[in-house]
Amino acid sequence: MDQKFEGTPQAEIKLDGRKLIRGDVSNDWGLRLQWQIKRDGKVIATPLARTDMEYVHDDKTPGKYEVVLQMWKYINYKKNKQGEFTESKFIDISNTVSYTI
Amino acid sequence: MAAGSRHYENKGILRMLNIGNERAPLCSGIDRRSFLQAGGATLGGLSLQQMDALEAAGAVDQKKSKIKNCITIFLVGSPGHVDTFDMKPEAPDDIRGKFKPIDTNVNGIQICEHFPLMARQMDKVAMIRSLHHKTGASHENGQRWMMTGHDFNAGNPQPYMGSIVSRVFGPQGNLPASIVLPDKIGNTGTSTPHGQKSAYLGSAHEPFFLGGDPANAGFKVANLAPPAGQTEFRINARKELLSQIDDLQRRTETRTTKNFDTAYDRAFSLLTSPETKTAFDLSTEDEKLRDRYGRNTLGQSCLMARRLIERGTRFVTVNHFDTVFNVTCWDMHANGGNLNNTYLDYENHLCPQFDWAFTALLEDLEQRGMLEDTVIAVLSEFGRTPKINNRGGRDHYPSAWTNFFAGGPIKGGQVIGSTDKIGAAPHDRPILPPEVVASVYTAMGIDLETTMMPGPGSRPIRFIEAEPIEELF
Repeated sequence: MDQKFEGTPQAEIKLDGRKLIRGDVSNDWGLRLQWQIKRDGKVIATPLARTDMEYVHDDKTPGKYEVVLQMWKYINYKKNKQGEFTESKFIDISNTVSYTI
Repeated sequence: MAAGSRHYENKGILRMLNIGNERAPLCSGIDRRSFLQAGGATLGGLSLQQMDALEAAGAVDQKKSKIKNCITIFLVGSPGHVDTFDMKPEAPDDIRGKFKPIDTNVNGIQICEHFPLMARQMDKVAMIRSLHHKTGASHENGQRWMMTGHDFNAGNPQPYMGSIVSRVFGPQGNLPASIVLPDKIGNTGTSTPHGQKSAYLGSAHEPFFLGGDPANAGFKVANLAPPAGQTEFRINARKELLSQIDDLQRRTETRTTKNFDTAYDRAFSLLTSPETKTAFDLSTEDEKLRDRYGRNTLGQSCLMARRLIERGTRFVTVNHFDTVFNVTCWDMHANGGNLNNTYLDYENHLCPQFDWAFTALLEDLEQRGMLEDTVIAVLSEFGRTPKINNRGGRDHYPSAWTNFFAGGPIKGGQVIGSTDKIGAAPHDRPILPPEVVASVYTAMGIDLETTMMPGPGSRPIRFIEAEPIEELF
């Protein structure tokens, strides 16, 4: 039997200065949960978000920062020759917040 | 199966009741003997007289030693010990792997960075880092060792831990004494036994296999749900009819029949009792708690394990995966084919999933006051090769690995044994699988000195030839 994942995970995030705050994840699949942090449209970090409800990204390089909460979505374990998943992937599960330095 | 039954099956009339791994005709042409066997398969335990006899023999002393329950989480495929619970950060690149160790809430104990929640509960966990065995490196070898404490071939099977527990303690209430979730282990490479059968203890002590995925929105217990078109009313009507037939038989049969009747009634109770249905119904759990376990097969199976223990089941095994082929699982060969798990599967899926479910189980049991009465054993078949293979994976390695305990009488916050600098062999306190299994029994309150099993030909035999790991207690 392959694994089942029930529902679709969802969470709300908000910003307090540069501090990111997340709520509980509903329909939590229990897989990797991460903050995806972009600066000027480019992903610069994906730190784990599982253990704490708050996170401050240390990087103070000037630019526009956009942050969203993501969770791994398992479809199957298929990978290409480079070892990258071809169908399973991270999906956004929250609203996006942004700030500028 | 009787020829008459096959006749009905051919016509599509026969309905089969799946209880445990026994199949018994239920509807047209019910076979009383089969039903009694099936009832016994999941529900038969010790009679009161047998329990009294065991207590008199000192095997089960409920006054001296409170009986504990047990949940085993079996990591089918087996995590690489060097990547998870026995990290070697000082080793060369091709040994230490890509993950980093993190501190835990116990000074001096580190585990992989992808178990951050478990790291916060290490004070409850006792790790055994010097496990090893010297037989074959197949999954099934490891499964037999860790599920029974023996290696054996198909001609000389040894009983699963849950079957031993069923034989010693028997069931409480309507629920089976031993249940395997979500399903039995299937194809893991060879056709040799997996060690989750009752063997010489007979069908009365077969574990009950759930046979369904509790994370599936439409989940029903396959082995309990009446077949399509069969209602409780019809089941009860047939029970009444069989009861009348039994009355006739009872006039001529010996008192042994009474024992069969008990198993027979229990089988019906399992099908129809509200208690049983409630035990398997996760929809009554708080939604946030279901989220906390993880809305996936492992998480919801762990939650169900807690519910079953709470309601009287003695021993639950959660099989994390029933195969190693073509799925994300711990068997990290990275072979580019049907065994193509890699570090990415560990990082994104396996470690977070286990971390989330295992720590939810610890927290939930503790909050309900059940942790001190419930032993948790996280077991696997073997470790994985210290040296990373040329495809970036690790292969089977029974010469060293880590498993762990929590709950019950276990002293948490410790590491027992160690491996050498590259995790290739035990460095001190080498421990074999039978010692782990003996520790499960001891933690549950079974006296290994005085308890014997009725072996082949009813010859009393010791069921485990090892001492428990004394540091655990």
